[in-house]
Amino acid sequence: MLNKIQYFFRQSWLLIVATFFYALLVVVVNSGLSSQIEANRINKLNNLMKGLITQAEVFEKVIEELEVTDSHGRAVETAVFKALDSEGKLQGFAFIASGTGFADKIELVVALDGRCEHFLGYAVLSSNETPGFGDRIKNDYYRSQFSGAPVGILKLVKTGGAGSVDEEIVAISGATVSSRSVVEIINDFTKEVKRAITREGLSI
Amino acid sequence: MPKVFLAGLWSENPVFRLLLGMCPTLAVTTGARPALTMGVSVIFVLLCSNIMVSLMRNLLRPHLRILMFALTISTFVTIVDLFLKAYQPEMSGVLGPYVPLIIVNCIIIGRAEACASRNSVFTSIVDALGMGFGFTVALVVLASVREILSHGTVFGLEILPLFKSGGWFHGWAMMAMPAGAFITLGLLLGLVNVISRHQEK
Repeated sequence: MLNKIQYFFRQSWLLIVATFFYALLVVVVNSGLSSQIEANRINKLNNLMKGLITQAEVFEKVIEELEVTDSHGRAVETAVFKALDSEGKLQGFAFIASGTGFADKIELVVALDGRCEHFLGYAVLSSNETPGFGDRIKNDYYRSQFSGAPVGILKLVKTGGAGSVDEEIVAISGATVSSRSVVEIINDFTKEVKRAITREGLSI
Repeated sequence: MPKVFLAGLWSENPVFRLLLGMCPTLAVTTGARPALTMGVSVIFVLLCSNIMVSLMRNLLRPHLRILMFALTISTFVTIVDLFLKAYQPEMSGVLGPYVPLIIVNCIIIGRAEACASRNSVFTSIVDALGMGFGFTVALVVLASVREILSHGTVFGLEILPLFKSGGWFHGWAMMAMPAGAFITLGLLLGLVNVISRHQEK
């Protein structure tokens, strides 16, 4: 037994040492760059929220650490921002919604109007979906279906009028899983966010 | 030593002669700027992995060498990915999954096996720079052709005035698509072959 262990270490000591060395290198680089990466993320989030709620000048975080249980039973935390114009009037709400896509996690920024009755739209904060297929969740063609759609349960359909503003969202051809993921993520989060906003008395 | 460097630029150019790294070559050459960013990233990973593999070449076990190469390459690809996310977030978004895919780029593991694991550190550095610059030049040339013909620009600078901006040039949308990538690459490969045959004569 001891001979086997000695043989194992003689064969793989370099692999073990290299693993620790490389892991340390990645940890050092990550710790040095993580603050800049986080600052970029916050900057991107602010720009995306401004793109969705164009009249907004200021975004205030009104609900922190809201726990949402997605359709797969996983608990995820999010924050809700209220969007105010230059006169301090409420223009809408925005929050980050995330869930599993086809390839990896999808993170969206979703915007609701001030009454939480209609979507103002969504933008993709991060995703790694297949280029040319699921990646098209970033395209205006798919995203525009959500602008003005009623807040409730959105339904993914395979065919239909993509130009009509209703709860039916026409899937991207060749990217049904990614399309369904976006709809499920938005449905799961909007339900809880709307409940929390109503409970706090924040909507118009 | 200059022969080793120049080989990567022309006679053993990884894209035009060895036909390696085809996935990023076709995918990220829709614009010259993403192509240049990818090329610089590959140069960094190739350089660092060649140095590390050359330093430990006498300690490598034959049956574990591929694992060591993959471990080394993935470390430096992770570092490049973090740098891009921190200092070039826009390019990181544009390149998307193709940065992590540098790990499986055949050029890098190929040079680790063919050169770094058998030669000194200095030779490995020169080889990495030659191959890396050769890859970058190939990508930038390909991307420039595609960007000019699809958008009339190179690195975002207008070269051909577009019709919709009051000019005369109608951009070829196909050049921004995969079909355009294959056609352009095929034509450039043909051109390289013609020049090579002419040089041999």
